[in-house]
Amino acid sequence: MGQTELLRFVRSLLQAYDVIAPRRKKGRIVLDNLSDATDLELHFPPSVHSPKKFLFPHWDELFRFRLDGNVLLKTEKSSPPRILFGMHPCDLHAVKILDDCLFEGETDSTYRAKRESTLLIGTDCVPDEHCFCTSLGTDRIANGFDLFFHHRDNGYLIQTGSERGHRLLTDHAPATMAGPREAPLALQLKECENRLQFPVESLPLLMEDAYDDPIWEELGKNCLGCGSCTLLCPSCYCFNVQDKLDLNLKEGQRVRTWDSCQFDQFAQVNSGDNFRSGQADRQRHRFYRKYKYLWDKYQRTACVGCGRCSRECLANIKPTEVLNKLFNQAPLPQPDSSPGSEYQPQMARVEQIKELSNNDRLFRLKVPQKFTFQPGSFLQLSVFGLGEAPFSFASPSDDSGEIELVVRRAGTLTQSLHRVQCGDRIGIRGPFGNGFPLDRMPGKDLLLIAGGRGLIALRSLMLTLLTDRERYGRITLLCGARSIDTLLFQDDLLSWHHSGLLDCRFAVNEQNNRWGIPAVDVSLLFRDLEINASRTIAAVSGPPEMYRQINPLLFRLGLADEDIYLNLERHMKCGLGKCGKCRINNICVCECGPVFAYSSVKHLAEAIER
Amino acid sequence: MKRRIGFFDFTGCEGCQLTIMNLEDHLLQVLQLVEVVEFRELMSETSANLDIAFVEGSITRAADRQRLQDIRHRSKILVALGACADNGGINLLGSHQDVSTLRQQVYACDAEHLLTETPVPLHKVVNVDYSIPGCPIDGQEFLAVLQALLLERDPELPNFAVCVECKLAEYPCSFDYGEICLGPVTRAGCRAICIEGGDRCRGCRGLVDNPRTTPYHQILEEHGLSVEEILEQYRTFNIGDPQ
Repeated sequence: MGQTELLRFVRSLLQAYDVIAPRRKKGRIVLDNLSDATDLELHFPPSVHSPKKFLFPHWDELFRFRLDGNVLLKTEKSSPPRILFGMHPCDLHAVKILDDCLFEGETDSTYRAKRESTLLIGTDCVPDEHCFCTSLGTDRIANGFDLFFHHRDNGYLIQTGSERGHRLLTDHAPATMAGPREAPLALQLKECENRLQFPVESLPLLMEDAYDDPIWEELGKNCLGCGSCTLLCPSCYCFNVQDKLDLNLKEGQRVRTWDSCQFDQFAQVNSGDNFRSGQADRQRHRFYRKYKYLWDKYQRTACVGCGRCSRECLANIKPTEVLNKLFNQAPLPQPDSSPGSEYQPQMARVEQIKELSNNDRLFRLKVPQKFTFQPGSFLQLSVFGLGEAPFSFASPSDDSGEIELVVRRAGTLTQSLHRVQCGDRIGIRGPFGNGFPLDRMPGKDLLLIAGGRGLIALRSLMLTLLTDRERYGRITLLCGARSIDTLLFQDDLLSWHHSGLLDCRFAVNEQNNRWGIPAVDVSLLFRDLEINASRTIAAVSGPPEMYRQINPLLFRLGLADEDIYLNLERHMKCGLGKCGKCRINNICVCECGPVFAYSSVKHLAEAIER
Repeated sequence: MKRRIGFFDFTGCEGCQLTIMNLEDHLLQVLQLVEVVEFRELMSETSANLDIAFVEGSITRAADRQRLQDIRHRSKILVALGACADNGGINLLGSHQDVSTLRQQVYACDAEHLLTETPVPLHKVVNVDYSIPGCPIDGQEFLAVLQALLLERDPELPNFAVCVECKLAEYPCSFDYGEICLGPVTRAGCRAICIEGGDRCRGCRGLVDNPRTTPYHQILEEHGLSVEEILEQYRTFNIGDPQ
């Protein structure tokens, strides 16, 4: 869209909408009503207030009342159709944060009315010395707007972000819509000099240890308590509710006004007690809200790096300075032993090798130093010249000093492992990760569900359980595979089945198999399963698609989210929580898993959905 | 029955009473709620008893003390109206000097017919129930206090700084222009009209309950003010001892 078309577009919008756009006022950029299309300016530094000024205004009537009677009922809340034209990506991110908080649980209808009648049109920004969006990943945005105007030499390339945005263009800029479609512009690189010296994902961890840091006292001493930081923040939404009476003292309105956690009386109760009595407490609260508490809840910071708080802080409190200081003073942990040893394998001797299937071989290794591990955790096997790969323990943790691992022949590393002979030495590194929660299992019924090679980790668990069988309630094993020949640990399975110590049920996809078991999917084994959900813990281990299938069945049985444990193995390359290859959204599987309670991963989109 | 209210004045410019008379859009409604029984600027009648007395100005003479005590005696509730009545206001500008020296400086003689004492706010003479701060007062705040009193509630004043008013109205910070502004420690409620008008805040509404003087003075020092100059800032409206 060129300048002339833009003018025509805005003029047309002004006929149908209240258009809010950046305007100059007393030498500054503020968002205000646009009345003349020629005043629209789309290349501007950050504005004083964010769109919060219009979507969640400082003075917002919740309802009217009569002093001697009732709430005065009004027709359904509505707001005039409005367009916020010229929102920077950080501000669009901030609207998402407001949405999270105000739509969660009981939807805030006053906010919703404004939000629904408002169209958001984004535009590229010009960062200034207070911006640090590039550190938070809020310098660009992929959705959450109706239209986005990307600057380019001869005008704008418009990206539609919603059906409403599309309609807006069709109705008010038909010429543009008739024009050719173009590929998105190359990502423009923005550079903010003001930046975090560490990745944003480290923030919650950094804050975790910073609660008692002296930095908050220091901030408290410098802070004027004026509240400018939170009032100007595009995502701070804490508010007060007050009654404002009409002069006739008969009617009035209950209004919402912005409040600030920096004010003296914010956390004060009627008795006069104040739960955040010092300014240090209040500043800390602000930083924790921005960088920790809402991260814990929504896995994103409640700060978008717009810099408004520091731009207007008379005491010069800058979030980047505070956070970088916290980061830089965090002590560098000492390595456990000699430097580099965390990556160096130790040599273990191959004691026994056993064919489990055409492609799977069980290795029994004598380890140089005894260690304990949880069933479900893993070890790195290493071949010099080829590298390293993670393997689940197949044996229980005991004091034999020997461990068992199953290696499937697939790539060069595993092919090479299959050529290893008894008495050879191979590298091991570990153990790593968290396994199934043995401490929770005594006295419980246990439901183990294995799919294919998922049985390896569950064998380690099962053998552990069977060493002390009487400590547990009913044990049920549901075991599925493609065919009898791919069923691992057939001897173990048959001996468990005949032992009477547990209830074993099998399913293979292969018709007319030699075990004579039904050719069904493992999910069909649930059909006549009797489970006392309140005393059952489920341990599930299998390929990713199995969880999508099995989880709903477990929920239907009545199992609680925190009683379902899933083995979510990924490619755990370093095992130290560093390389990032095994990340599920913001967590490292090698550190936090690979066995997770469903309750701790259900918010992670990458855990099971993809 | 309508509450009986009166307005009184002592040493001051009467700007606070003028502010009330300027509330033209609201006065008729106010008169639905109250009966004005004494108001020297408007009427000659007086009244033996009042529900609420709004008193402007500081006390500077013995005769004033007596008249104020008399007003107190006649009134159920007494409200200090504006900075002069509340804390002495600009009447106390010269109070760190001896009165006779001041008289010599101002009148070049002893000016016995203009005999005054060092001005004092109302609460030094009588019990004051509530105060409306400001020079002059804010008309809307007066109405809110009046409403509260008519409903027999304690009126509440904002306990945050004028900075909040500026941020809400999106006014640029005076410090950005190299001006010294008392906004960060002064009680809000004025809608920052001085800043809007291009001036700075001089603290006419008094300090917030818990002014952050340590960081504030640090900022003033960074702007080149000496301790004496900082104290001078507070003296304009006699807004308390910042130490």
